[in-house]
Amino acid sequence: MLTAKGKYGLKALVHMSQMQPGQLALATEMAAANNIPKKFLDAILGELRNAGIVQSRKGKGGGYRLARPAEEVKVGAIVRVLDGPLAPIPCASHTRYEACDDCDVETCQVRHMMLDVRNAIAEVLDKTTLAQMRDMDGDVLPLELRTA
Amino acid sequence: MTQRLSIIIVGGGASGVLLAAHLLRDSAMDLRVTLIEKRSEIGPGVAYSARQQDHVLNVAAPNMSAYAGDPDHFWRWLHERGLVGEDRFVFVSRRHYGTYLGDVLKGLADDGRLQVVHATVRRVAPGTNGVEVVLDSGTSILGHVAVLAVGHEEQPARSKGIAVRVGSSADTPIDRDAPVMILGSGLSMVDAWLTLSQAEHRGPVTVVSRHGLLPHSHRQVEKVELEAADVPFGTGLRYFVDWFRDIVAESAGRGSDWRGVVDALRPFNQRIWQAWSHDARVSFLEHIRPIWNIHRHRLPPDLHQRLADAVSTGQVQLIAGKFLDVRRDGSEVVATVRRKGVANTEEFRVARVYDCGGVSVDVEQSTNPVIGQLVADGTARADRLHIGLDVTEACEVIAVTGSPAERLFAIGPLTRGTFFEIEAIPDIRVQCAELATRLFRNADRVLERRLH
Repeated sequence: MLTAKGKYGLKALVHMSQMQPGQLALATEMAAANNIPKKFLDAILGELRNAGIVQSRKGKGGGYRLARPAEEVKVGAIVRVLDGPLAPIPCASHTRYEACDDCDVETCQVRHMMLDVRNAIAEVLDKTTLAQMRDMDGDVLPLELRTA
Repeated sequence: MTQRLSIIIVGGGASGVLLAAHLLRDSAMDLRVTLIEKRSEIGPGVAYSARQQDHVLNVAAPNMSAYAGDPDHFWRWLHERGLVGEDRFVFVSRRHYGTYLGDVLKGLADDGRLQVVHATVRRVAPGTNGVEVVLDSGTSILGHVAVLAVGHEEQPARSKGIAVRVGSSADTPIDRDAPVMILGSGLSMVDAWLTLSQAEHRGPVTVVSRHGLLPHSHRQVEKVELEAADVPFGTGLRYFVDWFRDIVAESAGRGSDWRGVVDALRPFNQRIWQAWSHDARVSFLEHIRPIWNIHRHRLPPDLHQRLADAVSTGQVQLIAGKFLDVRRDGSEVVATVRRKGVANTEEFRVARVYDCGGVSVDVEQSTNPVIGQLVADGTARADRLHIGLDVTEACEVIAVTGSPAERLFAIGPLTRGTFFEIEAIPDIRVQCAELATRLFRNADRVLERRLH
């Protein structure tokens, strides 16, 4: 599931993707504008930097910016970095697999279905770029129906 | 009147045959495939021409089917000929694979839709109405689209023509006790060393490569399961390497090892490559590729053992260093090498230097006249990393102007700048299947304009 960490990270990245080229975003501004606890955001930005998704500059005039154009960054990449392998429930992951105490993993139908669900999640998130997510304007209609 | 889609494939080695097979497989498709190959045999190409029994496939036989959707196709072929038993962890001779590829095509060629031409292609010229392929004889063949399937470079790109390729016409017999040098320490080096062993060569073999690393051995390990949802695409390189190490450590605890992880990543390698930034790719080629290669391109266990024995007895000497220069001195060759981490250079006097170095050659230096001409006239260009030809993810050749060709495509190792993991059958067959599907889908568009 998308945790608060994943959600806050995505919001911060949308924020950065709206900056003018060459401009840096301050952590305090991003925290205030998106209702994110500042300490938590600092930790999130640190992880995004380690993963090569954002770049930072320290000191006066410092801040954060995207390491690559928003058109090249897939939402799936961000979520995997912040929340680990995409998985709707803990047992539906091969790499960060956590077995349930109360069921047999080989025969559990719920797990099998959730493995399909995770693939569907991955497909959507890997198809969507940060730029596309930024440009979703909160309209209730899905994108493909809006032009009609 | 409906027109038949006409497709010209330049190159009748593994990639060319696999593409032809995928095009012709559906007998209901109305099309014409012209396969042009300069060699007398269709199928083997450079990769599967090895005449020696112990030049084996580096992939276990069950993974080598021509069709991803029919994984046992090759296994059945081997079985019918009594070439394998029940053990599926087996590495059969490469020449069998060349024969298999030829047979795959023969099985599809009896309805007149395939034409095989034995000739060297001199020029490929895509126009608005079709593609003209000019042969050495001066004859032109016209098609709606053409696909370059020319495989690996055949000539050594360095060492001034003094170093030779093993088994080439320049590889004349030498004194069996004479010292020789091999440039490169990958699987091609192993082939060269095997050829020397077969000829009962007893002289010392000095192997020089940048890092002096030998390929690892295959081993049957517990399968590791990875899906796209597990793989961190599009991160920086360091993050990815850390992730990889973590997964290997976890897998080791579950009865597998790095082999399981490397194999599990295989279906995603192209996506991993494509999701990286240019900088990450450059950095991978520079720092990680040598290490990746020895884990990814492994040797069958018995061969690996033989090689390890030769290294421990000193018959094979491994040098990590840079090959700087080579010159002739009478009947001998003098090679200059600088060992890694050392300032001064060293000269080696040997009977012959074999070039088994990297296969990724800058297309601007290509010895293949077709590629040279396409790059020279701007129809094609090198990819940004200069490891192949620039193509789109749909295999369209990109011109020097940046626009993708409508009628000219490339497949196989030549497309490694875009796909990276595109040198072995399991990847090339998927690329061929996808290109065949796209060519069918776009048939109406290329047929709209009539051939001149």
